[in-house]
Amino acid sequence: MFRAKPEQSMTQQSSNETIIAQGVKVEGDFHSQGDVVIDGEVSGSIETTQALIIGESARIKADVIAKNAVVAGEVKGNIRASDRLELLATSVVEGDVETANLSIASGARVNGKITMGEVEKAE
Amino acid sequence: MYCYLYDEFIQGNKRYERELLDIENRLTDLGIAGKISRLALFRNAEEMIRDEIDRGVKTVVVLGNDDTIRKVLDVISESKIVLGLIPIGPKNELARLLGIPNGVEACDVLSARRIEQIDVGTINGRKFITGVRVPDFRAELMCNDGKYRVVPTSRADLEIQNLADVCNPCDGMLSANIHSSVRKGWGPFARHEQTNSVLPFQFLAIRSDKPISLYADGEEMQGTRFDIGIEAMILKVITGKSRVFI
Repeated sequence: MFRAKPEQSMTQQSSNETIIAQGVKVEGDFHSQGDVVIDGEVSGSIETTQALIIGESARIKADVIAKNAVVAGEVKGNIRASDRLELLATSVVEGDVETANLSIASGARVNGKITMGEVEKAE
Repeated sequence: MYCYLYDEFIQGNKRYERELLDIENRLTDLGIAGKISRLALFRNAEEMIRDEIDRGVKTVVVLGNDDTIRKVLDVISESKIVLGLIPIGPKNELARLLGIPNGVEACDVLSARRIEQIDVGTINGRKFITGVRVPDFRAELMCNDGKYRVVPTSRADLEIQNLADVCNPCDGMLSANIHSSVRKGWGPFARHEQTNSVLPFQFLAIRSDKPISLYADGEEMQGTRFDIGIEAMILKVITGKSRVFI
């Protein structure tokens, strides 16, 4: 009567999350409406209306537009984060940075212009 | 009105004789017995189903395995009737994902008629339910009308999923999973690590210079160009409580 219901699989991945892991290369204009995690290589442009996480092993040669971004890897291109940008200690950014809120960890390298204030959101 | 479609391999096979008898008795007890159609070598499954639909059949129940479902998937999803399964014998992965037990126990699931509408994938015009597998993937994926392309930089397998343990078949999206083996470290200390890339998509193309083999719902296809898409919520299927999706 009070038997537990069979466990439903709750591990079904969020249908809009994109993961580009090591061993994969993306070339071109990458657009997403969901969260994006990058540990591989990307060249071209990256745009998401949600969060973007660039891992330590990521190699990006692209302009980046996101709502929130956390960078731990290498980015050669401009970064525009409308809400918040976090540059971790291992990050290397060669390009201009534009964001409303910025956090830079000790050890992070930025070679470019930093602009802070109201930023246009990604479409 | 139910129509039961018996696959060729279960007919006249002594191994399944007793099980079939139990199933037929159980269906009669539950009051859902119906017309029995039997697949045979020179009988076209799609034509048989079209004839039954013209006679007013609203539910086609397949007795067989994943191969049997492949034979009838195109016509059932196009005609918007309900698909039921009574899995018999081995190779019943789809039934497991839909939460349908093997043999006579499936009759009770049928009787409960818990109907779900699920997405169906298409590859070069051919439909699939579970997914597409490309072992040793050396081609490129063209996504978003060719706006960007994805290529593996190391040895990789590609798996495109619609209905799987970790993939929801009701979200109008397919998921391309690239399982790569990445070499880390150097010299004698080098080791291979598995990584997994996930790309949700609605349309995607596989392009290769050399012909490649892939398996859509377990059936082999060969070619250099494959266009993969999704038809959202077109298949009505009877599922059990223990199905893998919510």
